[in-house]
Amino acid sequence: MILDPVHVAGAGMIRFGKHPAETTLETMGAQAATAAMRDAGVRAADVEALYVGHVFGGPVAGQRIGARIGLAGKPVSNHENYCSSGATALREAWIAVGAGLYDLVLVVGVEKMTDRVKGGVQPDPNDLDASIGFLFAAGHALSARRYMADYGATREQIAAVAVKNHAHSVANPYAQYQKPVSLGEVLGARPIAEPLGLLDCSPISDGAAAVVVASRAGLRRLGIRSAPRVAACALVSGTVQAGLGDVNEEDISRRAGAEAYRIAGVAADEIDVVEMHDCFTIAEIVRLEGLGVLPRGEGARLTEAGYTSLGGALPVNPSGGLLSRGHPVGATGAAQVCELFWQLTGRAGGRQVEGATTGLAYCKGGSVSGTDGASVTTVILTT
Amino acid sequence: MPTTTAESPGTRAVRPFRDGLVALDPPRLLGSRCAACGTTAFPPREFCPSCRAVEHIDKAELATAGRIHSFTIVRQAPPGMPVPYVLAWVDLPDDGVRLLTTVVGTQPEEVELDQPVELELTPFGTADDGASLMGFRFRVTTRGETR
Ligand SMILES: [Zn+2]
Repeated sequence: MILDPVHVAGAGMIRFGKHPAETTLETMGAQAATAAMRDAGVRAADVEALYVGHVFGGPVAGQRIGARIGLAGKPVSNHENYCSSGATALREAWIAVGAGLYDLVLVVGVEKMTDRVKGGVQPDPNDLDASIGFLFAAGHALSARRYMADYGATREQIAAVAVKNHAHSVANPYAQYQKPVSLGEVLGARPIAEPLGLLDCSPISDGAAAVVVASRAGLRRLGIRSAPRVAACALVSGTVQAGLGDVNEEDISRRAGAEAYRIAGVAADEIDVVEMHDCFTIAEIVRLEGLGVLPRGEGARLTEAGYTSLGGALPVNPSGGLLSRGHPVGATGAAQVCELFWQLTGRAGGRQVEGATTGLAYCKGGSVSGTDGASVTTVILTT
Repeated sequence: MPTTTAESPGTRAVRPFRDGLVALDPPRLLGSRCAACGTTAFPPREFCPSCRAVEHIDKAELATAGRIHSFTIVRQAPPGMPVPYVLAWVDLPDDGVRLLTTVVGTQPEEVELDQPVELELTPFGTADDGASLMGFRFRVTTRGETR
């Protein structure tokens, strides 16, 4: 079936970072939700359903948030796809509104991590790779070393991702870090899984982000004449790998991109701005290549050359990305869509990508032993 | 496969840390092989990851000789995992299998891409019933050493 047009009517976030223990998941979720509803000019009474993405929030976190913001009694659902949970919640909202079930719904991504996650998030302990000593940082280090050997990329070129994304978020009031870091600081940081060091890794963060999703009728009800459209919200899962192929093939990214381009009727070269899941520096590079927005094997060199910087040919992570905006895992997918909404409505301030009309957000969540990933979501917003 | 099953408490049983993943004597990794296209999978699967066949998937003992396709020295890990350790993608060229494993037998700083490695079993803790569990890892083979 073909979905009716679905729009983002408003967005709201709280600043990502380490919040005190008394700033609970429910508090953060409610603050972001309230900000998004205020931005869209929608009253709680007119919100028809709530979709909440989180990983560590415990049972029915969405209902706990809904009860705080006047949505008790409405349909509330909780969505877990590890780091793509927020985007998966958006996808369910997109489908429901596009199918005509609702005209105005709220999507919240939220996570409270700093009081419960130490030293990095893990695969499920029953996973074979996890039992052998696999950590997400280690997986990306294996990717980085092979990428350098296969494509002649340098350690400095990979570190340039962190330098770029930290430079971008100096102008993002919602970012966990708002200070530039130097190449020397990235290269000299404490090693985590060689060749990657601490500044190649996204931080443990708390935070929440929310968007109001609307049909055309919903926009009319709010008196909004035009709003960015969710042209696609694709979801794929990893496939079981066999043989001795390229560990950086990123077939899962290729499939996620192809599905989004197909649904949106947009080509890869029409994308003006990307919010990319840079959980680790190298991940931004190989995933951009997998999506087909950078040529295979050239992502590291192009990053160093400024191609993906603000002012470059294809700005990637003007928000600062996961590395610098922070990575409260369930909130990240929603935060990416907030950023695209602000970019496409010209409200991104000092990090504005001039003239951006088409944006893509990519989230990858989790790992399953023997596959090329658990879940990848791709969202395309157009003006 | 000669696997030791759970015995009465007090007996010193030894068994693989996961059923059907390793054979203890001689030490072998156990995979599956598709009769239709010849693809070998590790861990063993009930379907072929290449051609998606679900029939004629046979058990297979994997070659013990491998080489390092990529590796990392893990310097920070959750509590209970002593660091540093070397984690690697190891290729078994005879089977066309790539697997994740820890690598021992040399200083972490001296591990290199394409280095030859050999399978070995390693203790993997104790089961609830007191049995000793065996896991696997790979050891760097000395240059020039043949088997
Ligand atoms: Zn087959």
